[in-house]
Amino acid sequence: MEILRDYGLIFIPFALSILYVIEPLFMSKLANSYESEDQKSLKRKKIMLYRQIKELEMEYDIGNINNKDFTKMRIELKKEVSAIIAQLKSK
Amino acid sequence: MTPVAGGVALSLAFGFGLLTVFTLLIYTKNQDQRLFLVGQRLALGVSFFIFLATFILSYQLIISNFDVDYVARYTSIETPFIYKISALWAGQSGSLLFWLFILSIFSTITILQNQYKHHELMPWVIISLTVTQIFFLILTNYVTNPFKPTEADFIVANGNGLNPLLQNITMAIHPPTLYLGYVGFSVPFAFAFSALVNRDTSPLWIQSIRRWTLVAWLFLSMGIILGGWWAYQELGWGGYWAWDPVENASFMPWLTATAFLHSIIIQEKKDMLRLWNMVLIILTFTLCIFGTFLTRSGVMSSVHSFTESSLGPIFLSFVFFIMIASFGLMYSRLDDLKSPKKIESFTSRESGFLFNNMIFVVLCFAVLWGTLFPVISEAIRGTKITVGAPFFNQINTPIGLILLGLTGIGPLLAWRRTGSKNLIRKFTLPIIIFFISIVSFLLIGYKGYVVISFSLCVFVTTAIISEFYLGIRVRKNKFKESLHSALINMISKNRSRYGGYIVHLGIVFMFVGFTGHAFDREKEFSLQVGQVEHLAGYEFELVNLSESERPNHYAWISKLRVTDHQGQFVTNLYPEKRVYFHNNPDINRRQPHSELDIYSELNKDIYSIFSSIDNQKQIAFLKIMINPLVRWVWIGGYILVFGTLIALWPRKEE
Repeated sequence: MEILRDYGLIFIPFALSILYVIEPLFMSKLANSYESEDQKSLKRKKIMLYRQIKELEMEYDIGNINNKDFTKMRIELKKEVSAIIAQLKSK
Repeated sequence: MTPVAGGVALSLAFGFGLLTVFTLLIYTKNQDQRLFLVGQRLALGVSFFIFLATFILSYQLIISNFDVDYVARYTSIETPFIYKISALWAGQSGSLLFWLFILSIFSTITILQNQYKHHELMPWVIISLTVTQIFFLILTNYVTNPFKPTEADFIVANGNGLNPLLQNITMAIHPPTLYLGYVGFSVPFAFAFSALVNRDTSPLWIQSIRRWTLVAWLFLSMGIILGGWWAYQELGWGGYWAWDPVENASFMPWLTATAFLHSIIIQEKKDMLRLWNMVLIILTFTLCIFGTFLTRSGVMSSVHSFTESSLGPIFLSFVFFIMIASFGLMYSRLDDLKSPKKIESFTSRESGFLFNNMIFVVLCFAVLWGTLFPVISEAIRGTKITVGAPFFNQINTPIGLILLGLTGIGPLLAWRRTGSKNLIRKFTLPIIIFFISIVSFLLIGYKGYVVISFSLCVFVTTAIISEFYLGIRVRKNKFKESLHSALINMISKNRSRYGGYIVHLGIVFMFVGFTGHAFDREKEFSLQVGQVEHLAGYEFELVNLSESERPNHYAWISKLRVTDHQGQFVTNLYPEKRVYFHNNPDINRRQPHSELDIYSELNKDIYSIFSSIDNQKQIAFLKIMINPLVRWVWIGGYILVFGTLIALWPRKEE
């Protein structure tokens, strides 16, 4: 009896899992719900670049980077940020 | 619930796992979003049934259902509740299920966390995680099933009980922590593998896995330190690290993971070392599986026991499968993995990081070689040649000291290149202090590695303090902040950097502790009540001997009064001689155990072991060890955890 009860108990989660798993198959063909992902990636990239600029400034202030390298690297990073902002605005 | 339900849950998990992989592979071809959702949900189902199976086994352990072989082997009616729970990871099949359980937690978190992120990567991330689950499900379903019924034609009234050495609270925490570390690396590996499939070299996924890597690294570090703490508290040989294969199994992935944590910074910031990072994460994950193989296959005790069970060959096959699939894929993506930038100067932080990486990998291979040599020698020549601690210490001490030195040098180097002026400005103070330390320690009378190690510790500490000082000075001048606010703001705005420096400080503390081992003293003696012995300026008097019967053991307790050379009272120590399962009529099943007592100070530990007792003559056979600076190892561990938590603490999105 106990075994039958246990099979019954395991059957319930199994049946519910199957219903949960196959549910999307009954939906009409899904549009790509991840279209905004590009946008999110760009935003995350922008944040990363801002952080890198801050860290670069910190390195410069501490004296870990000379003036020439600092200016060059800062310009490069700012260019990258500008390009991402432009992409974000265009979307 | 009966154990049968547990077995069914494991079988269902296996079936769901196969379906997950199959569905997601179809999705990668036809890109039907519905299939992706089905695949995601199937993967969550795999984890759900594994959770259920783990819950059922835990329940069987708690209710002492000795009809289950695993429960009868690792618990008894007398086993305290907490150890009935920890028995889940005490034996082979239970620990493999526990591995799966943790992997399922991580897999569920990864799926839910990335439901709307990394859409290109996620199918292969899920496939990779599920394949690992399937492998462990094969083992727990078909090779070593934790729900196997007890093979006896009578009702088992009581189980064997848990090994006394495992009846220690640290041992209840240490394996889960270690497993969280081992299993945690599955996630960064899955992302890396998926990135290889998708030819994705963007820094975005790297940022995601850096946090996962740090979490796994933290748990692995804590697991290793807790293992050392347990060995020190419980095994009674006075040390915390013996270069045992099980210890090495956890140390090897820690080494490659530490290298990876450093080099991934370079990829994130400079887009360099793409290929190298792939190698490191593949190696780390492989070593995690390999470590589990070493500890679970029986290969270390004998090559023959490895072939007697099918567990070992299956494990080894999976290790080769990971290596061939990952390195093969990596080889096919070599063009994508070429970094557009090159290291510009030898005196740059990038090159410092790369050099430290090389040393970590060399150290890892030295440990691997020493660990496998007995197995290889037994397989080839039929004779097992044991490689002991002296080999590891001889090889690894100089390598470790080079790494310690690099811990100090790295932060002083600038990105891209360090100009000669900058080199002089940043290195002058630490180097002067380093040489002053060498001279001072030599004058005190220290020799060899002790002098080098202590002096390097001073050098690294100076370098770290000077970095903090420079950062604070900049903030004070730039933002007109007080010392306190400058320190707090500097750390909170640069968490990974200063968290990392704090971790380095923890490592320095640990090296001070390791070096203290050179001054260890010990003495074995026997005492009757009222007699005294001397060691290292301390006097040990046996005040009394008593006995006590406790729920799961019988104990003889010695009371040792410790006084210093001036006769001042220091402490009382109570080492015990215990016999576990003392009520068992079969005398061979009774297990003697020495429960030691330690008096710990910042500069030394007094470590007492009650080896045996002559009951008739009331003589206690004791061993006393004076272990200098051990506490520094544990303090270093706390600092390491604190620094890692700072580095991990999430930042506000600017």
